[in-house]
Amino acid sequence: MAAFENEMLAVLPRLRRFARALARDAADADDLCQMTVEKALLARASWQPGTRLDSWMYRIMRNAWIDTARARGRASETFVDAEAGAGVGGDGGAEARVALGEVEAAMRRLPDEQREAVALVLVEGLAYKEAAEVLDIPMGTLTSRLVRGRQALMLDLGEAA
Amino acid sequence: MTIEPEMLMAYADGELDPLNAKRVERAIASDPALAREVERHRALRKRISDSFAPVADEQVPDRLAALLNPNVVDLPAPKTRPILTRWREAAALAACLVLGLMIGIGVSRGPVSAGAGGLYASGSLAAALDDQVGGANGSVKVAVSFRDKQGSYCRVFSSSAADGIACRDASGWALRRTQQGSTTQRGAYAQAGSPDPELMAAAQDMMAGEPLDAKAEEAARGAGWR
Repeated sequence: MAAFENEMLAVLPRLRRFARALARDAADADDLCQMTVEKALLARASWQPGTRLDSWMYRIMRNAWIDTARARGRASETFVDAEAGAGVGGDGGAEARVALGEVEAAMRRLPDEQREAVALVLVEGLAYKEAAEVLDIPMGTLTSRLVRGRQALMLDLGEAA
Repeated sequence: MTIEPEMLMAYADGELDPLNAKRVERAIASDPALAREVERHRALRKRISDSFAPVADEQVPDRLAALLNPNVVDLPAPKTRPILTRWREAAALAACLVLGLMIGIGVSRGPVSAGAGGLYASGSLAAALDDQVGGANGSVKVAVSFRDKQGSYCRVFSSSAADGIACRDASGWALRRTQQGSTTQRGAYAQAGSPDPELMAAAQDMMAGEPLDAKAEEAARGAGWR
């Protein structure tokens, strides 16, 4: 197997986590992952060896997510209410999964542009500069979206002052 | 002095340069509300990060891993190839290198030339295929002659440069299969060895009916292998 595929395989667990932070639920997240891997394989010629494969794939995933979210339309937001996601992952009943459900639901209530900034920096641990590059936006835009996203999450998750 | 919310957040994340970090620290020292805000940022970061962390530890679903490595999982139609196939490929690759060298050395003098329809035997190899009796020893040895399913005469040969199967067409001896020569060079005199079982098996696959016996071979040679 080629080194390129091996490297992609190594990035896959983090991609799944990023997808989970972006997508509606676990099934959508893995669909998004699959789409991303397929796009990355097709676009492999555009990846420059020596640059970061993870950033490149985050960017592909983010763009794929934007495309599918748009295709799905704004209509989906109308039924993502306060209860949505509370039961996600509840099949096992494990506390970690319930906690994930709460945070996931709060993430889902963020506007897309704040959610992707939060996902890259807080979930994936990217530096601001890296996240701004993935999203192709200036640093100032990233930090303003990030700060608004975090303030909304604090309110939502009961961590406000 | 006012501290922008962005700057406070960046401080909490350790994203500020030392100069700005110092500014924020001085502001925090004189305003407990700012200190609490920094703590909230850090607590939220940890909560979000911890919530999603287990996803990265989950086993990647097979259908995803399989996109990148078909051998990872059992697919309905397994793509694992028999070891023999891989040997064949390795042999073919080696033969390509050999042919490349032979062609590179000299089109007119080498045992192989590139014609319009592909690679053809030339020089001593072509002469041996034309005239040499099966089984006779020399720098080229023809192990067996046969007719393929299209009715063309084919001969399995071995030599120091390459082993292979050549079939006669209008242009000459077209090389159907080649692999690295089995013959070992001893001093000035090269003695062709026996073609390997792989090659003989390939010939068996191509063959229509039985290999030519000495009499049939002689007749074919007399007719110019046509």
